[in-house]
Amino acid sequence: MLEVKALRKVYGSDAEAKPAVADLSFEVAEGEFVCILGSSGCGKTTMLRCLSGLAPATSGEVLLYGTPVTGPPADMSFVFQDYSRSLLPWMSVARNVAFPLRHKGFSAREARAATDEALQAVGLAGQGRSYPWQLSGGMQQRVAIARALAYRPRILLMDEPFASVDAQTRAELEDLLLRIWERFGVTIVFVTHDIDEAVYLADRVLVLSAPATVRHVADVALPRPRGQLETKRLPEFAGLRSELLSSLQRERAAA
Amino acid sequence: MTRRLAPVLLELLVPVAILVAFGLWSAQADSFYFPPLTEIAREFWNTWVFAGFRNDLLPSLGRLLAGYGASVVLGVLAGLVLGMVRIARTAAEPVIEFLRALPAPALIPFALLLFGTADSGKVFLIVLGTVWPILLNTIDGVRGVEQQQLDMAHSYRIPGYARLWRIVLPAAGPRIFAGMRTSLSIAIILMVVSEMVASRNGVGYFVLQSQRAFAIPEMWSGIVVLGVLGFTLNWLFLRFEDRFLFWHRGSKGLLSTDRR
Repeated sequence: MLEVKALRKVYGSDAEAKPAVADLSFEVAEGEFVCILGSSGCGKTTMLRCLSGLAPATSGEVLLYGTPVTGPPADMSFVFQDYSRSLLPWMSVARNVAFPLRHKGFSAREARAATDEALQAVGLAGQGRSYPWQLSGGMQQRVAIARALAYRPRILLMDEPFASVDAQTRAELEDLLLRIWERFGVTIVFVTHDIDEAVYLADRVLVLSAPATVRHVADVALPRPRGQLETKRLPEFAGLRSELLSSLQRERAAA
Repeated sequence: MTRRLAPVLLELLVPVAILVAFGLWSAQADSFYFPPLTEIAREFWNTWVFAGFRNDLLPSLGRLLAGYGASVVLGVLAGLVLGMVRIARTAAEPVIEFLRALPAPALIPFALLLFGTADSGKVFLIVLGTVWPILLNTIDGVRGVEQQQLDMAHSYRIPGYARLWRIVLPAAGPRIFAGMRTSLSIAIILMVVSEMVASRNGVGYFVLQSQRAFAIPEMWSGIVVLGVLGFTLNWLFLRFEDRFLFWHRGSKGLLSTDRR
């Protein structure tokens, strides 16, 4: 459903400037959960901005269902890393979730139903009248996920969404995301710098090196449904983990 | 009950003490310049409760609100445009810096030439003095909007007008209110000054005329009216700000639980 072909992004018009994304190509199948793993500064965020249509590519193209992405597509949601700056503090939780819906053509009633359903799905039913700043970090990121879900996307782009919450909350959010993925049948492209997280969540892990280009692909054949204890105990988990770690270390040594 | 009442009583204590002290002193001072408090109070009642309210206070309030209201609308609209359009901001900056450095009362003679003693001259002067803090604060507020909030809106295909109305304007809200608060006190000052120079009514005019007629208790009563007016408007403004910016204090962790 999502094809990235020879994507290249250079900031500025200087011919000498180093690209942030260089010759990046990969495909994501319908319903797939793909994690993109890369160390900080390898161009992950720039890549996501190109994928989501927030920034134009210098060359190459991104196709969603065969259509070139030139601006944010209607069936894509983006979850940002920094929930505290992507939620609007002057709107209640419910209004934050519903805000994009009216502009997508939902009626007031449909928007309310979608908001309630999405808040329910992330375990925040009854919190609609709170304000984001009254909630913990993990709950705020749930609101952001609810907003993304209520938008009824077919693909969800996530930029290190759990990077700034504590380990316990992070594990809860990972499991929540897996349940949502299974329930809503949405395709997920999840960027992270955490190897365990990538292996735990994904069907397939792409390792990026700077400037962003795919250096390594690992298929994750771990059984589903996954569990924090059961899955991470499997020898295959440990094998994939060290495979990806050595791949990342090779990239870093080469850089 | 007493715990809630105690701070209120404490706040009232000092003003009441000052009034009592002044009342006692002025009653026996026999000073021409400081008439007894009771006389000022009587004058206040006689002058301001009916006739003065209609003849002087209402016209003053009308000018103040017209000028201040126009400043808010102009300042916020222009501030939104200048905050978002870099070229316009660069082009307008020298002019803005010059005009805001110009003391508004310096233009009273010009306003007299242009408008005579009509209300429009006073409104003009108030706008000229109060629009700058609102304009400059709005520009800063708009420039300080989180890029990620705009990216979020863009990624959800939220159209430009909604981004402006639902994101840029509220995000700039705390700065806009800061500017409006500064401007409110400037507006009151300019109202009084313009009425003292060129007017046939208004509280400022009344104070000056009373002084010229050596009607000192009347003069004092007008000054008291101005004090009460400023205090009340500021109080109303703060209530208004509270309603709009509660989220700002909340998100900064400043929403104290013991607010009255």
